[in-house]
Amino acid sequence: MASLASSSFKDSGSGDCLDRLDLDFPQGLPGFETSRRFVLQLQTALAPIATLQSTEQSSSEVCFLVVPVALLVKDYSLLVTREDLRTLGLEEDRQPQAPAPGTLSNVLCLAILTVPKDGPITANLLAPVVVNLATRVAVQAVRADTAYSHRHPIATLHATGEASC
Amino acid sequence: MLVIRRRPGEVLLVGDNVEIEVLDSSPSYVKLGIRAPKSVMVMRKEIQITREQNLEASHAVAASSSVKQLLDSLKTAKP
Repeated sequence: MASLASSSFKDSGSGDCLDRLDLDFPQGLPGFETSRRFVLQLQTALAPIATLQSTEQSSSEVCFLVVPVALLVKDYSLLVTREDLRTLGLEEDRQPQAPAPGTLSNVLCLAILTVPKDGPITANLLAPVVVNLATRVAVQAVRADTAYSHRHPIATLHATGEASC
Repeated sequence: MLVIRRRPGEVLLVGDNVEIEVLDSSPSYVKLGIRAPKSVMVMRKEIQITREQNLEASHAVAASSSVKQLLDSLKTAKP
């Protein structure tokens, strides 16, 4: 079964919706500070790309395309601020690990895709969406450094190892 | 770019009503205190960049041809 909890989002299930998670963004996302509730859905037609859609009445048209960071860059190293770690309910003194392809983890690390009218699709690696799978609490963890671009060009997604779960 | 050397406790003025005080510094960071009217937006630059990127990304059209191409690239890359 394909699952959102598997970092590679491998498409091996049947049916239209492979998995869905209701997420709470206590701080919203930059630009959408009042949108707290989102649903993350993995559908057959789009897997391994998932949709992250607001379920707030005031912003229900807001929908992002996201993909596990592990499919874009190898060994992405997370840098989450103490405030964001506190929001996530994770240990403040230890950086969570972005899960390696095909592995299970207690966090999800997703990059938001930008699909311009013309020009290549890019992924925001400056500010990945980090989800605590135990609590379904999520933040967009904006990095304070410049190690990764907010417009990381992606021509292809890496095929990854077998999905567990 | 204007470059000014300041020590902890020293203050800079920007315009008529913004004050920036150097509170603390170490080899790896500077801690700043900013006094500004509510009407002046103060935020970390990377938040502003992410905000603009989010606004651009927020109306995703999953059916677009470039998304389809990207998905095709994954299928062809599969072993």
